[in-house]
Order: sequence, then structure tokens, then C-alpha cells
Amino acid sequence: MAQFYPGTSQVAQNRRNFTNPEYELEVLREISDEDVVKLLGHRAPGEEYKSVHPPLDEMDEPDDIIRELVEPIDGAKAGDRVRYIQFVDSMYFAPAQPYLRARSYLNRYRGVDTGTLSGRQIIEARERDVERISKELLENEYFDPARTGIRGSGVHGHSLRLDENGLMFDMLRRQVFNKETGKVEMVKDQIGHELDEPVVLGEPLDEETLRAKTTIYRIDGEAYKDDADAVEVLNKIFVTRSNYGYNPEL
Amino acid sequence: MDIEIFPHRILGADTTEKLLNDIESLDEVKRTVLQGPRLPPQDDIDRRYGDRRIITVNGEEVELKVKTGRIWIELYEDVGIEKIRSICDEHIKNGFDINTSKSQYIRKQRTVTDDIKYGSGTELPEEFIGISDTRSQFKDNVDILRRDQGE
Repeated sequence: MAQFYPGTSQVAQNRRNFTNPEYELEVLREISDEDVVKLLGHRAPGEEYKSVHPPLDEMDEPDDIIRELVEPIDGAKAGDRVRYIQFVDSMYFAPAQPYLRARSYLNRYRGVDTGTLSGRQIIEARERDVERISKELLENEYFDPARTGIRGSGVHGHSLRLDENGLMFDMLRRQVFNKETGKVEMVKDQIGHELDEPVVLGEPLDEETLRAKTTIYRIDGEAYKDDADAVEVLNKIFVTRSNYGYNPEL
Repeated sequence: MDIEIFPHRILGADTTEKLLNDIESLDEVKRTVLQGPRLPPQDDIDRRYGDRRIITVNGEEVELKVKTGRIWIELYEDVGIEKIRSICDEHIKNGFDINTSKSQYIRKQRTVTDDIKYGSGTELPEEFIGISDTRSQFKDNVDILRRDQGE
């Protein structure tokens, strides 16, 4: 059985849930395909996918055993451009966080490239695959409208204090809280171009749910040092790396 | 002495208004400075979703220019701290700290910047020193409430 993450705490369990591709993540909201296209901002809804090469079927490719073994993803088959979606996760009990995103993306999706930074996490793939993946990421547990930001640029804010209504700071004001409906709306696409109509992302999750779903160890939530099992494994990795460079023969 | 109220979340206009009304009505409070990130520009998004409004403190209208990240208060007497703590308990839902570790949070001495800005010869009343951002216009940042004028 594959081992994804050590630890006995709820945070460790959540990390295992995200990283295990067999585990089905809970779908929390519904966002239409058109809305996903709008907030990505790579093409207008209904517009044809632009391509960078002809469909693979029409291309005269050299004989190669790997090409036969690996089934290309839909976007590659059609010759789409590579496009991206980037998320920012607040330190204040956001459901996901950058390193976990990287691990879980690579376990869950084929044909993607993912980049991790301290406060943000980008995933790149062919355009129609990015749209499919984005829809999943936005609708299920990975995303919370208040604590997770969809930000192609102007990403600053993951470590700042939240607003009183629970929203993470966003210098471009893409995700805004509608006081009348109690829902978070996206008024700009991910790089800050204004949308004609706001995209409703739904209600923010309440604090209790977030604390139950979070994958972030925090001293005011579940502290890492209290998860003895996780600390032990980390310690073992650290010692074997430092002393023997992971080489059991030494 | 000075104290700093550090709320665990950036406060909105409603909470700030309630908090300031109660704090300003205390006799122990000499002056108050709100510190925090500037409010976003006034555009369509701000008009529809923003938190910008004119709040009323002790009957005086005060236009908020910043989001309330910290509140610095100068007190005449230390006994005010406990009263302020109970006011904060009542209004700040998401937790706060009251910091007293620094001897002063509001600057009390005139600086070279003050001299350049207001002229070294001009007399700046003591209670105005240190309450405005040195890089902005005094009148943009300071509201003087009538209650304090006679004191």
C-alpha cells in the first residue's frame, strides 16, 4: 500500500486524503464551465481553443515505443496551448497549501507541470485540461472562496491578517465579499481584468469546517510537535540523510 | 502611557465605529491613532462591495482612510487599560492583544521631518505631534473631535 504521509492528527489524515488519488474529495460547490473559463481569462467563453501544433493524429511522428505506451491527454492530442491556474492559500487554516498541492496534483493529474512557491502554487497544462482541472479544484475541498485566492499575478497576502469577514487580503480585489448575499464573488479574472458579470463562488466555509479540513499545522490549531508520529518520521529522514546520505550500506 | 490594541483580524468600519465610540468616551483616553493598510481606491467595485463609509464618533463625523489594523491609544492613567480590555472583549469577535511592552507607541518628540513640513519656527501643539503619517498631509489624516478641544 502506498504511504502518503505519516501522522495521527486530523491534519495528517487530511494530507493523506488529498494526496491519495483513490480518495474522492467532497464536492462543495458548483461553478459552471463558462464561469471557469471566464475567471481563468485565457480565452473568451465559446471561443475556439488556439493551437500551437496540428492534432497529433495528423502529425507524422517518428516511431517511438514511449509514444505508443503513453496515451496523450486531450489537450495534447488536439495541440492546445499550455495555460495555467495559480492559487494562493492563506496561512489561516486554508484547506490546502502549496507543497500539498504539488504532491497531490502530481498524484492526481497526468500531463501537468506544477510550480511551488512559499505563498502560491501554479499548475500548467494544455488549455482544455487546465479548464477541466480548474473546475475540479474550484468545486471540491481544495478551495474555499475566502481563504484561497485565484491569482495569476499580484499574489501577495497569504500571510497577512484576514479581514473581519474572513477574506484574505487581495491587492487587486478579485474576490470580494457581497454583504447582501453573504457570498464571495469574483469580479475580476485571475490576472485582474474586470469581468462583465461577477462569478459567484459561493459562501465561505465556516471556521469550524476549515479547522477540520485544513492541511496546515498551526500552534493555535493542531501543532506539528504534538503529532509524535509525523515528527518521528521527519526525524528519521533527517538523520538518515545527514549521516548516510540515505545509503543503507554505509 | 501608550498602549496598542492589536486585533487578530483587520477590523471593518462597523466594529471600528463601535470601538472608537466606547474608547473615546473614556476619561482616561488622551488621543487615539488608527494604523493599518489604506482603503482601496474609490471605484465601482469599492462602491458596490467596499467597506468605506463615514463613521460617527461622539457625534463627530470621521471619514475612515485606513482599515483598522492597530489602534494606538495614549492614556492619562493606567487604569484605563482594563476598561479598554472590556470594551474590546465586547466588540472584537476574533480575538485581540493589548500590547504595553513599548514605552510609547505614538511619537512624542518633534522630528526633522516635522520641522521641514510645518517650518521649524511654527509651534505645533504637543498633542498633534506624532499622530499623522509623516509622509502625508496632516489634514488628510487627523480628525479633531470637539470633546477634546477644551481640555
